[in-house]
Formats: sequence, C-alpha cells, structure tokens
Amino acid sequence: MSGIEKTNTVRLENALIQIFLATAALFMLYPIFMMVLSGFKTTPEIFMSPFSFPERLNTENFQVIWNKTDVPRYFLNSVIVTLSSIILLLVTGTMAAYAIARYKFRGTLMVSLFFLSGLMLPIRLAIIPLFIQLKYLGLIDNLLGLIFIYTAMSLPATVFILTGFLRSLPKELEDSARMDGASELRIMIDIMVPLISPALVIAGIYSAVPIWNDFFFPLIFIQSPEWKTLAQGLTSFFGEYSINYGVLYAGLSLASLPMILIFIIQSRRFIAGMTAGALK
Amino acid sequence: MAQINMLDITKRFGDLEVISSTTLEINDGEFAVFVGPSGCGKSTLLRLLAGLDELTSGEIRLNNQRIDHLAPAKRGLAMVFQSYALYPHMSVYQNMSYSLKVAKEPKNVIDEKVKKAADILQLGEYLDRKPKELSGGQRQRVAIGRAIVREPKVFLFDEPLSNLDAKLRVQMRIELTKLHKALKTTMIYVTHDQVEAMTMADKIVVINEGRIEQVGAPLELYKKPKNKFVAGFIGSPAMNFFSGKVNKVSSTGIHFILENSDTLLFKKCQKPEVSVGENIQFGVRPEHFIFMKNQTQTINGKVYAVERLGGETYIYLNSKTDNDIIVHCSGDREIKVGENLDVGFSIKDCHLFNSNGWAIDK
Amino acid sequence: MHITDRDYQRAKIFRKLKKFLWLSFLLFPPALILITFIFLPMASALWYSVYEWNGLIRGEFIGLDNFRKVLLDPERNWFFFNALKNNILVFVSLMVIQNGTALIIALFLAREPKGARIYQVVFFLPVILSTVIIGFQWKMFLNPVFGLVNKLLNTIGLNEWALPWLGLPETALPTMILVNAWAWVGFPAIVFLAAIHRIPRDLIEAARLDGGSEWQIAKDIIWPLMAPAVTIIVVLTFIGSFNWFELPYIMAGLEGSPAYSTDMLGLLFYRTAFGSISAGGTEFGVGSALAVIIFLLIFLFSIIATKILTAREVEMG
Repeated sequence: MSGIEKTNTVRLENALIQIFLATAALFMLYPIFMMVLSGFKTTPEIFMSPFSFPERLNTENFQVIWNKTDVPRYFLNSVIVTLSSIILLLVTGTMAAYAIARYKFRGTLMVSLFFLSGLMLPIRLAIIPLFIQLKYLGLIDNLLGLIFIYTAMSLPATVFILTGFLRSLPKELEDSARMDGASELRIMIDIMVPLISPALVIAGIYSAVPIWNDFFFPLIFIQSPEWKTLAQGLTSFFGEYSINYGVLYAGLSLASLPMILIFIIQSRRFIAGMTAGALK
Repeated sequence: MAQINMLDITKRFGDLEVISSTTLEINDGEFAVFVGPSGCGKSTLLRLLAGLDELTSGEIRLNNQRIDHLAPAKRGLAMVFQSYALYPHMSVYQNMSYSLKVAKEPKNVIDEKVKKAADILQLGEYLDRKPKELSGGQRQRVAIGRAIVREPKVFLFDEPLSNLDAKLRVQMRIELTKLHKALKTTMIYVTHDQVEAMTMADKIVVINEGRIEQVGAPLELYKKPKNKFVAGFIGSPAMNFFSGKVNKVSSTGIHFILENSDTLLFKKCQKPEVSVGENIQFGVRPEHFIFMKNQTQTINGKVYAVERLGGETYIYLNSKTDNDIIVHCSGDREIKVGENLDVGFSIKDCHLFNSNGWAIDK
Repeated sequence: MHITDRDYQRAKIFRKLKKFLWLSFLLFPPALILITFIFLPMASALWYSVYEWNGLIRGEFIGLDNFRKVLLDPERNWFFFNALKNNILVFVSLMVIQNGTALIIALFLAREPKGARIYQVVFFLPVILSTVIIGFQWKMFLNPVFGLVNKLLNTIGLNEWALPWLGLPETALPTMILVNAWAWVGFPAIVFLAAIHRIPRDLIEAARLDGGSEWQIAKDIIWPLMAPAVTIIVVLTFIGSFNWFELPYIMAGLEGSPAYSTDMLGLLFYRTAFGSISAGGTEFGVGSALAVIIFLLIFLFSIIATKILTAREVEMG
C-alpha cells in the first residue's frame, strides 16, 4: 500500500469513528438535555410540542418546586447528610490510613486486611440487623443514622486510597519533623496530611457521589417527611405531581444540577475519583 | 562544649546485627566524618546518635550526660538529611522556623533567629519561596539553615552532597568547611565519598560492616592504614594490591616472590618480622609508582590501556597478578598500549599486609 | 546528673506505651464505626437466618429451615428462581450490550480523535446522576402516550413500534436493561480506556508498522493486555446486576410488574424482609436467609471469576 492510500484509509477510519462517537454522544446528552429543556415548558406545551424549544424560558415550574414543595428541604437534608458523612469519613479514614501507612507494628497486616475486607461486604443485605441495631441506638428516622452508615460503607475504600498515598511520602519528612520536636499528632496534621490533599479530594468525590445519590437507606430508615433526602423525596414528589410533567421535569433537573455542575467544573478529578476504586 | 561519646553501641534489626560493639569519641568542635561503603552502617550510626532509631545496647553521651533515652528533639542535635527533607508545602521561612514554632517561641525571637541563619547562608531573598522553586544547592542551604536555627550542640549531616552535581559538590564542600570554621560547632558528617572525607575532616572514622576499621586524621589514614580495607578505601584510584610469599631472609635483606613470578628485594631490611614461607600482601598506591630506571623494586606488566589527560596520565597494566595494576603519574607520558613496562616503587611507599589483612609494621 | 539504667528502661517503656496509645487513638474511631455498622450487622444477618422470627422478636433456632423455605417451598421458590433468572439475564445482557459498547467506545477514544476529552466527559455524565433521577426520567420518556420515545417513533413513522414499553412483560426488562446500559456505559468505557492507555505505545506502533489492521491489533494486543480491567468490570457488573434494586423499583415497582417480569432478588428481598413489618409476619428469618443466599451467590461468583480471569491476566502478562 502506498503512503497516500494508507493515509486515506486512516482518514476514512477516523471519520467513521468520529461519526460513531458523535452519534453516541448525542444519544447520551439528548435525554438529559430534553429533561432540562422540558423543565422550562408548561405541561400542555410538553405534550403538544415535545421536541421544540420552549416558547419562553418559563421558570414557573421551578418556582413551584422552590416554594410549594418539600424539595428544597429534601435538598438540604441531602447536603447535610453528604457533607457530614464526607467529613467524618475523611477524618476517621485518614486516621486509620495514617496508622497503617506510617507505622510498623505487630498486626499492621491484620489491621489493613480488616479495613479492606469491608469492601467485599454488601451491607445492604444486612439491612435487617442494621435496622434492628439502629432502632436500638435510637437512630431510626434520624439523619445521624444515615451518616454513620454511609461513613462505615465508604471507610474501606477511603482507607485503601489514602493508605496508598500516605505510604508514598518519604520517611525523611517524618524524621525531620521529629528532630524539629513535633509530636506525632503535629507531624500528621502539619505535614503529612496537607501533602496528600489531592488524595483527600479524590477519596471525597469517590464516596460523595454514591452517598448523594443513595435511595435505599433513606427509604428504609427515614419515615418522617421532614428528614427525607433528595433521592428519596423525589419519589413522594412524583407521587404528588404525577401528571404535572412540567414540574416533574423541573424537579429532576434541579435534583441533577449540583452533581452536573461539580462534574463539569472538576471533570478530570471526578472521573479519577470515581474510577479510583476500579483502577486501584 | 560538645563532646560525644558512643560506648559499646550495638544495633540489631531482627537477627541482623548492623552495628557491632562500637566505641567512639568525638571531641568538641571537631569535624568528624563517618565514611565507608554502602550498607556499612554509617547512616545507621548517625540515626542512632540522632535518636531516630533505638539502640539495642550501649550508651550515647553528650558532655558526659547520657542522652540515648531522650527523644530526638531533646538531645540538642540537628540533622541535615540527604534529600534535604524540606516540607514541600511550606515556604523557606516556614521550613526554617518550624522547630521554633513547635517550641512555641515568640514571633520576634523566631524572626531574629531565622534572619540570622538566612544571612549566614545567603538565603535572605528566598525566604518566601517554596522548595520546588529552588535549585538543588539552594534547597540544601535551606536544610542547613533549618539546622542552624535550632542552635544545636552538634550538627549531623547524612550524605548531604550526594544529590548535587559534581561542580556544585566541590563548591559546597568548601562552603561547609567555611561554615564549620565560622560556627565552631561539633559536626558529624556521613558520606561514602572518600574525597569528601579527606578534604573536610578533622577526624575520619572508616566503617565497614558495622565495625570501625580505623579512626584518625586524613593524612594519617592515607600514610598509615591499619588494614587492607582502609588502605583500599582511602585514596583514589584505589591502592594496587598483589600477593607474594617470603622466599628468603638473610643479611642482605628480605626476598619475596610475587604471584606473577616477579621478585622483590627489601635490601638491608630486618623489619618487618616475617618468616619464610609466609604469605604477604603488598599495596602500592598508583601515584607512588616511578619510571626511573634502576629502581630496586619493580613489577612487570603489559599495558592494556592508557588515559592521557594532559596534566596527568593513567596507565593500566596487566601483570598476571590477581588484580590489574593502575599507575597514576603527573604530566604527559607517551606510553603505548601493548608495551611491556617495569614500574618501580620504593619500600617506604609499599604497604605490607599479612594474610588476615592487617598491616605489618615496617 | 547520672541516668541510671533503671531510668533508661523506664523511659523506653514509657515511649512504647505512648506509641501504643497513639496508634489506638488513630485506629479506634474508624474501627468502631466499621464494626458497629458493618461487621456486626453482617454477622447478625448470618445469625438471624437460622432462627424463627415473630416480627422483631427472635424465636427458636430452626437451623436451615428458612433456607429451605426460600429454595424449596413451592409457594415461594417460584419467586426466587424467577428473580434469579432475571438477575442472570440482566448480567449477561449488560455484559454484551453495555460493556461491549463501552469497549468499542474505549477503543475508539484510545485513538485520540478530536474532542476525545469532551467525549469522555459526555459519556461519563449519566454515571454521576442518581439512579432515581434516571429511572424517573426514562419512565416519563417511555410513557406510552406522553413519553418522548413514542412521540419520536410516531413522528418518524414507526407507529407500530410505539409500544407500552414498561407495561408489557416481554419488553419491560429489556427496556430497563437498555436504560441501565445508557446510564452506565461511561464507567466501563473510562476504565477500559485507562487500561488501554497503560499499554506501552511501542507495542502498538510496532504492530502497526508490521502492517496489522486495527481489528487485528485490537484483538491480539490490546484485548489481552487489558485483562485486569476486564476482570474488574466483569466482577463489578455481576455485583451490580445482582444488586439491582433502585431501577426496577422506580420504573416497575416493588412487585416487579408487569407479572413479575422485572422482579429481582433485591426486590424480593425487600418484600420478604420489610413487606411484612406492617403485616407482622415471620419474614425476618426468611429474609435473612435470602440475604445470605444472595451474598453467597455474589461471593462465589466473584471468587471464581476472579480466579479464572486473573489466571488469564497472568498469561497475558
């Protein structure tokens, strides 16, 4: 094959690939796009002309959601739960990872296996004893119960990720700080932890997304409407507005917004974070 | 005053004894260099002094006060690490002031001490920069500055120059020596480079496999090595060794036969006290070989390589002994590969070692 | 001041104690959380499954009776095997449709076409959305009368295809599988892409110079060297398929309508365990037994699959 012919074949291949990818991308984006778009239409408009742009950017639906439904409340609950879980998770996860990564002691292996084994255990299947246990602790229908469960669920992966990063820090930094008179706690806080801040972000994102999106645990543990989280609250919200498609689409759009925004801004970190577990 | 005494120190990692029964004294104001091949234990010894590793047995004393039970920061020592160990996320100022911050010193005191150290090391302009914005040499100075700020009784250096390029290394060697003269503090310096040891030290401690081979001033070690290891370690290129046997002891002198069948006659010599048939090892430094004719002791060899640097020449000979012979002479010599040479040396430049490697008094 | 040997020993012990306390301080809170909220419940689940339950009150030890009820009791086991069949169907379909497409996307993106970065972001976008949102969104789209899907089909003239997708037993599950594939294809695509990027350039370029076609290169070089990523995705897809709950719950309801065609082990478990809180039946034991069975299925598969696939990884280098 001559050089020019080969280039043409390659060009053709590349063109086909672009077509495929572009079509696929369109297929991915279109539904989301439609969902958001429809949020700006009135319900009759949706039924009449589902595919066209709205006549005007009608924010009525969004206003309904903001003022008349409990969705803002659900949103707030999700924020509280997710943020608290992540904070608790990162603090305790860092502590465990630090102990495993920076110290040699009898049982280092056992301890790290202990935390790792949590990865394999599908906590959802133990929902029954968990329910009984939370009832005993008085944490049913309480955001705190969710926070503890989410933290526990995410600890193994977080400890795993953070241990890897903490191990990579040179021992001389520690030695130098010891000679400078710093206590172990100071060394951890002043020096080692700041140096793994990217890992903390990755671990945070990796855990935050499933927590924010989770539906299963609130479904079981939260009964009072004022404590429902967003994913769960959407269900009752859907029940209420089952035929008002405009409001429904607006609700879905609003619920997606935080994740989408953060994702677009931090897409690189995000993807790295979420696939961190799989890629080890 | 800062005198260090290490008494009968042993360090074991599990079953492996890394330092064996070592006793050493370092005097106030001395620049002592621990030198030896990789893995000999010199860094471990330093870390034991610093308190970063625990003794298995023995005592460490500073000014006759025992310090080996104290935490590293409380021993009055400061250490400069091989990789500088600067805190990457802190500025130069913060790096240097960290120890004082931990000790809760007031801000003005910290400021003063940091500025003073920065002046000595000419770091004044860099105080706000982060380590990654600095060159290797600058980073090293910050590491030294961090140590100076602590006003220690003894400075410990762990191979500080290994990460620098050759030219910078030479420069820093001189800087460190100047620093020592200025501060007059006791300094203990670890390196694997015997050139650094020879040029910087007041006292060299040669360490091999966890044991001290010899302690002494640089030239003393050069002229009077106690054993084959020290003889071969100090001096570059290394000393040439060849073996031989005592053939005859008579009134004319001592007659040796070398492994390559060359003979040596130590004329009119009653020392050393050797017996016929004894196996002896000889050592001659490359720079001690001479080309003048009529040398009493010669060794014959065939040239297989010549390196002419203009101001000096290195000649490599194959002489059917265990090792090849390296000759180092000044000036330019027109020696050709393949030539057969007789290189000579005088008795006083020849070191004798018995079969155990210990030097024989001549 | 002379330090005695005793002082020295005391200082040494004190230091050891400090280290122990510090490590305990570091490890205690995380360990406590893990034990309380994961290990204890998991152990209890095992424990509960061999007892009879009266609502929330534990009754007598009945050995493997609960397990028998789930697997052999003719009234119940139809549900179990039906759900199991569906879960397996989901797994196989997703492997082919979702992961197959993901592989193709990854291979294409590996050639670094223009806009690759943007494509990556776009494909990954649905992954970050909540399953609930996706479920509701597509439920609305798939509405037989008002949904966008059927409206689109009508517009382009394929009226016979405008079926009640979620309403027919034959189409409900396949539809949900497609929705899952749409939502999740980005994840394996990115993982595969990362694995492909790890393959040294020289290997691929050498093969190109040797005149290999893209297909050959993909088959003989890229595919074998991606083995570790494939292993992970296979295991994760299996676990995901067997954990299916939110999607069917939202799109079809707790009973796996229509006609249990979309019933899943997860839904069955939920019904068994909690459907009876209000009824006050003795289902906690049966539910726990079901949970143990599901766990064993996942666990066994993961181990076997990992063993087989890892052996392949090693072969491929």
